Amino acid sequence: MSHSHAPKFAYQPALPIPNGKTCLWLFLSTEIMFFAGLIGTYIVLRFGAIAWPAPHDVHLSEPIGAFNTFVLICSSVTVVLALEAAKRNRAGEAKGWILLTFVLGTVFLLVKGFEYNAKFSHGIYPWRPHGPVYDKADIHYAAAVRKRLMGLKTGYQQQIAGVEAERNSEQSESAQAGDQIKELTGRITVVDDLLARVADAELAVRNEPDSPDGRIKLMELAYEIYPPHDHHAVERAAAAGAVPEGPAMRLVAFQAAASQSPSHNEAEHEKGLNDTYSWLKLPIMIPGGPMWASTYFLLTGFHAMHVLVGLIAFVLLLIPRLDRTRAGIVENVGLYWHFVDLVWIFLFPLLYLF
Amino acid sequence: MSEHGSVNLPGTYGPEHVVREQPGVDPHHDGDDHGHGGVGKYLVVFAALCILTGCSFLTYTDYWPFKGDKQITWAFMMAVSCTKAMLVIMFFMHLLWEANWKWVLTIPASFMSIFLMLMLVPDIGWRQNNGFARYSDDRLLYAADPPHREESNHRPAEDHQAH
Repeated sequence: MSHSHAPKFAYQPALPIPNGKTCLWLFLSTEIMFFAGLIGTYIVLRFGAIAWPAPHDVHLSEPIGAFNTFVLICSSVTVVLALEAAKRNRAGEAKGWILLTFVLGTVFLLVKGFEYNAKFSHGIYPWRPHGPVYDKADIHYAAAVRKRLMGLKTGYQQQIAGVEAERNSEQSESAQAGDQIKELTGRITVVDDLLARVADAELAVRNEPDSPDGRIKLMELAYEIYPPHDHHAVERAAAAGAVPEGPAMRLVAFQAAASQSPSHNEAEHEKGLNDTYSWLKLPIMIPGGPMWASTYFLLTGFHAMHVLVGLIAFVLLLIPRLDRTRAGIVENVGLYWHFVDLVWIFLFPLLYLF
Repeated sequence: MSEHGSVNLPGTYGPEHVVREQPGVDPHHDGDDHGHGGVGKYLVVFAALCILTGCSFLTYTDYWPFKGDKQITWAFMMAVSCTKAMLVIMFFMHLLWEANWKWVLTIPASFMSIFLMLMLVPDIGWRQNNGFARYSDDRLLYAADPPHREESNHRPAEDHQAH
């Protein structure tokens, strides 16, 4: 009571917390609604979708997701320990915990980047009107496959012509040029085989539009390019009698039969044409894949951005001396970081395990 | 409020006010931790969070007994997630020890997030899985456009090259 000049109000003029903390909590309550909107969108779209890819269809790894959850939980503990140290005026210890939190957050982002890369390398990303991922093996999918194959073929023919022109101008038989031409010719053979199959399926679809044969051929081709890893959705649909009797039942029966193939191994990525020939990079069919990509990258992208902002805050915290007078700042940054952890606590089961 | 008794008493406001106006200083966390917090408590919460994450992950392994029953798995995972969230909010974010202002900020936002889903799921979310409004059958059947007999002018030129 040494401040005799202090006004003696008879009422509480504000919240019993610092203004900064009030603002941060107001911000967090808007953040709750922000992520509620995102997660709500995901849940509604996912359960309203006709098909949704299994985690392995889109190269999601549950152990990696669980590891990242563990990393974020650890970072939540370290940031709370930093606050405890700052409150006890142990500035050095607090800075150490903040540094460790920063390292853990960086690990999270690196793992996230590794995961993103696994999707990008298979062409799984949102794109308008279409990335290389198609919902169904219809005529539009066939057209996209054919376009890619024709592009490859033209490219290889030009390459062969170029190599031959070079060889003729040098007037010498180099073994390297021969090998190159052999390789390119081999690739053109593969492309030609696939082009014939696409044309066969397209003709079947066009000439017998009422028969499911053409669609079955297209689906066989799509499964060969990118084998499905989860067939439970199809099985359930067939078992529940969701599809009435009729020609369409043959299509469903084909899908169910494909799901029971003995080579199927859910835990591993089955090898498709795109894996056997890495240069092929054909469009792939993942039922529900485009919508999955949109929601997945939206949710994890916004979360990763929040992690990034948190990391910037930790870097700024590393500059000043984190003694008792700065415990409030450490607490505010910590509250934000716990919220980021909180969001991931819900994202992990929703995205990886559902 | 009772944790910070001095704040509530009228007349003791003055010095608190002076301290509060200094940026970054939390008058309530000055000195020791008023009996809450503490490294031991945080480590217990950390262990609980790790065990609960393991529980979520259990649904992925072969030890999970309800493999075929998606609804049970989903309910279990959401229960685990909510428990984890409550642990983080109450202990790490100190809401357990905060005054009544915490309800004003958290409850409306939580209501909004819960009702956003509850209101949309019956229509959009269950359109594939609703016992009494199965328009999903039609959607599944006609998911791919039924192919039409194409006229010759739509015939792709590449077909000739492929043959």
